Amino acid sequence: MALRHGKDTVIKLSGTDLSTYVTTSELSRTSDSHDVTTYGNTAHVYQGGLLDGKATMSGVYDTTAVSGPRALIRPLIGTVVALIRQPEGAGTTKPQDLVQVLVTSYVETNPVADMVTWSCEMQCSGAVNSAAQP
Amino acid sequence: MDLGNVMQAVADRLGTIAGLRVYAYPPDVVQPPAAIVTYPGTLTFDETYGRGMDRIEDLGVVLLVGKVSDRASRDLITKWVKGSGAFSVKAVLESGTYTAFDTIRVVKAEFDIITVAGVEHLAATLTLDIAGTGA
Repeated sequence: MALRHGKDTVIKLSGTDLSTYVTTSELSRTSDSHDVTTYGNTAHVYQGGLLDGKATMSGVYDTTAVSGPRALIRPLIGTVVALIRQPEGAGTTKPQDLVQVLVTSYVETNPVADMVTWSCEMQCSGAVNSAAQP
Repeated sequence: MDLGNVMQAVADRLGTIAGLRVYAYPPDVVQPPAAIVTYPGTLTFDETYGRGMDRIEDLGVVLLVGKVSDRASRDLITKWVKGSGAFSVKAVLESGTYTAFDTIRVVKAEFDIITVAGVEHLAATLTLDIAGTGA
């Protein structure tokens, strides 16, 4: 067992590496649950259904044109693009999740006494490919 | 960010204020009135993934004027800690263009009395919040 620090995480949206603008990210996978309890059961019985998932990321606003968070993400709202998340960083055989996502929101937050920040929410569309990095 | 380059860049920008003697680091001997760029309490690495951003939230600039009891001391230090104008340290620092870092904000000024050569001098310590790329 070896612990991993989050600072090495790599996250790419639509082919662009956003890692240096990101402070936190999540990829959650969920499943529908179907209640198949019948007479005679003494407790609820469930069966799994379709898989689903959401992804989020947020970070520090940057003015970088084209590849900065504002320049990249805003035009992608409402579109389905590829999300790649490498929780242990880049490297052959290291884990990776590749999934198509619908970009559902991009939010900028401007506190008076701190850095401008942004956040993005995405809805997974289809299965996640969790094959290790080539 | 390179801390040395950051301190020098802040000192260079302070040097554009007329009549302000600037020290880019704490010297052995200070000749007031002066501004002294001091070391920060903390330099925080890895504010984002991939060495994208480092941050210094408390870089200090000490403004040292004359005797506490002199009216000229009050007039001088209040001119430097004013929120705007050509002599405003906050306005001058925040309007600068820098390559050593990306953003700077003068957060606050705290007043104190510092003894120099046996004489109590009026002083104000400005706290600077600075952020830049981690590389």
